[in-house]
Amino acid sequence: MPQLGRAALLLSLGLVAYALIAGSIAAWKRRRRLAISAQNALLASFLSTAIAAGVLWSALARRDFSFVYVSEHISRKLPLGYALAAFWGGQEGSLLLWLLILTGYAALAVWLNRSNRELIAWVVPVLAGVAGFFAFMLCFVSSPFATAPAPADGAGMVPSLQNPYMLAHPPLLYLGYVGLTIPFAFAMGALLSRRTDERWIVATRRWTLAAWTFLGVGQLLGAHWAYVEIGWGGYYAWDPVENAALMPWLAATAFLHSVMIQEKRGMLKVWNMVLVALAFNLSIFGTFLTRSGVVNSIHSFSQSPLGGWFLGFIAVCIVFSVSLIYLRLPMLRARTKLESLVSREATFLYNNLLLVAFCLTILWGVTYPLLTEALRGETRSVSKPYYNFFLHSFGLPLLLLMGIGPLIAWRRASLRALGRMFLIPFGVGAVTGVALIAAGFGSSPPGLLAYTFSAFVLASIVLEFVRGRRATGSIVRLVGRNRRRYGGYLVHAAIVLLAIGVAGSSSYQTVREKGLKPGQAMTVAGYKLTYVSLGSKQEANALATRATVDVSRGGSHVTTLHPGKNTYPVEKMTSNEVSIYHDPRNLGDVFLIADQIDPGSNTLFLKALVKPLVNLIWAAGFLFVFGALVAMWPDAVEQRRLADRYAPGAVAA
Amino acid sequence: MRRSPARLVIALSVAAALAVFVLYTSIAGAGTPQIQPKDLAQHTGVVLLVGKVVSTGGDSHSPGGMRFVLRDVKTDSGARARVVYHGTVPDPYRVGREVVVTGTLRHGVFVAQDGSLTTKCPSKYAPAKSKT
Amino acid sequence: MTLGLVLGGVLALIAVLFVARPFLREPAPASDRLDEPGELERRRLELVEERDRALAALKELEFDHRTAKVNDEDYRSLVGPLRRRAAEALQALEPRAEARHERIRSKH
Repeated sequence: MPQLGRAALLLSLGLVAYALIAGSIAAWKRRRRLAISAQNALLASFLSTAIAAGVLWSALARRDFSFVYVSEHISRKLPLGYALAAFWGGQEGSLLLWLLILTGYAALAVWLNRSNRELIAWVVPVLAGVAGFFAFMLCFVSSPFATAPAPADGAGMVPSLQNPYMLAHPPLLYLGYVGLTIPFAFAMGALLSRRTDERWIVATRRWTLAAWTFLGVGQLLGAHWAYVEIGWGGYYAWDPVENAALMPWLAATAFLHSVMIQEKRGMLKVWNMVLVALAFNLSIFGTFLTRSGVVNSIHSFSQSPLGGWFLGFIAVCIVFSVSLIYLRLPMLRARTKLESLVSREATFLYNNLLLVAFCLTILWGVTYPLLTEALRGETRSVSKPYYNFFLHSFGLPLLLLMGIGPLIAWRRASLRALGRMFLIPFGVGAVTGVALIAAGFGSSPPGLLAYTFSAFVLASIVLEFVRGRRATGSIVRLVGRNRRRYGGYLVHAAIVLLAIGVAGSSSYQTVREKGLKPGQAMTVAGYKLTYVSLGSKQEANALATRATVDVSRGGSHVTTLHPGKNTYPVEKMTSNEVSIYHDPRNLGDVFLIADQIDPGSNTLFLKALVKPLVNLIWAAGFLFVFGALVAMWPDAVEQRRLADRYAPGAVAA
Repeated sequence: MRRSPARLVIALSVAAALAVFVLYTSIAGAGTPQIQPKDLAQHTGVVLLVGKVVSTGGDSHSPGGMRFVLRDVKTDSGARARVVYHGTVPDPYRVGREVVVTGTLRHGVFVAQDGSLTTKCPSKYAPAKSKT
Repeated sequence: MTLGLVLGGVLALIAVLFVARPFLREPAPASDRLDEPGELERRRLELVEERDRALAALKELEFDHRTAKVNDEDYRSLVGPLRRRAAEALQALEPRAEARHERIRSKH
């Protein structure tokens, strides 16, 4: 069976190589049959990659330990779900997942545009080129189908990965990362075929939105995983692997906004090309960071030979994108110019600058250790204070802009009109700010600003809905007819909730640590935590030690929490099992970590964190997805108009 | 406006962003050195010490703290760093694991900042490892 | 062992056939040219996008006016140029629309 897997991957490589070469010739020499042949090759490559994936999945399900990959990542007793999820638990398998999703997306893109061969003539070779790299790696550098004499049992899966997050987080993240390849390919395809129309934007708008949503949700899931399972009390550590996903997401956010300006005003053509290339290259860079082990990370892996290959590929992609954009610069000249610094176009421009600036400071922070090592021989690194500073410097103005943008009209807004629009939201913000200062929230200026700006933005969004409803009669009709705009407002509201949650749980959190003997108590932020007793229980594959802690507030009992540790004898590991109480009164959490348990004296070193409003972060995730779906939802009227625009019989993706 | 203000805006914004950046790095200093035990003796001031745990003992929550010894990660130069640490000990921590801890060398002992110990997750993407 | 290789071979064969399909279906076609938009078509696309942009901008302006985001004064000053642009774009497309219908009719 591994031979079938290897053969299927070799076939995939051959097919995408053909698609690259034949597709390029067909696009260049305008050969119809060859173009269709190249497209068929791309479609077929998905099938062969799927078969390779099937071989690996079947080996995992059958616990076929003759596959080295299987013996390294699962064990006989591992439940089936996790055994299948081990597909993406290692280097080779996750590369295969990437290729599977990439060929899948490519096949879908080809299929959706099959009646419009001309549009994708150059898109096919670009997609094939990217897929070719991954196929090459899978065939010759990092194969999932290596075999060895089968051991009696596999190495098993690390306990911290055995949870539902392992099933969802990597695939969602990949659906996002890989999805950014499609708009990149269409953009480069448009440049290669010297097309100056906006068709590539129309064709990829939903792709970009979907990829961006997947990437955002994948990151939120990762943050939640870190929060409840790893349990160090936080959800984001500015670790290079976390930043690896944040950077392309920020670039994609900038792209989503500026592409709207190109659609409406025909401006920023060069900038959009740069942004889509940046987002794509950052997605490859992101996976390079995660796999190669070049940067010191808590998720870090040993130095791998893959690093060199990936760097080479990224270099090729950057040279390709930059040269192509440079060569086509004359073609990308805009016809219209920015009319006023106070217009919606201008706020989009400021938003873009802030997002890209933030993205680049993160990039600098991530590569700083590599650069200092290379240039000075000594590795230096930056950490949380650096990232937080820029999060505040760029993130707070971004938050404010989210409230300003919707209130300004396109082209040019008179200051008088602005004054009227701003009155209520500004009032809400000001009142909130003053009230918060009075209530003592001035202890953290960034937190205070975040709350104040959030109030301002929420007020402006609510007003948009109110005014819109007054104009159209019903919310449903309003949203139905303006899906992109109001879906976008919902997404903005989600980001605001996220900002409030982050501000509350970081700027206004309280942390206390204390050693307690049974019967003793500690107080933190108005909660009284009484350590009652200690107990142990033998579970399926672990010894679970739990401390019973009573939580009370204002004298009355609220809940009982059980922080503790699990000891896994087979894997010889201990894991932290935190206990969290979600307080409905402040949407926050009481987060208990059993730092250390002394079984002899029954002493418990308890670390307690009170994190106000943290649950808004997760709630924001749901609103985020809902808003994105609304924005993406196909509009029959618009589809028909686009179909007419691009010649009869065309299908817009 | 006849001439587009866009270029002016972009130039000013980029300048502003750069100014913020330069201001920060000049005030906050250019990062923290990341070193291994073999280079520890040459560094005064706060550093990030990266090493492999050779031996460990003591209680990180007691006044005396947890005391452990680190060696270089890849090739052992023979250098050893003695660390005294107070605070949370991450779950994956044990002898043989790679850790990172922030602190300062004082009188031959590396005094760590409270709670700054991090341990790398067991490698997911490493090439074939044996079952330990 | 051999089963894997045999299946692989079958797979490869199917793939090759699928890739060669366009050539097998049309061994001697009338035209093997991959049409790309000619100068006329490109110009038409430009104009259509211009027209759609102007119409969309008008629609948004009306909506912004109805929701009081744009006051009467600003509306009056903005709507004129926009309407003119839309009219120009529509006019520029008119003769081309005729030509396009001719081409489509002649194709069928």
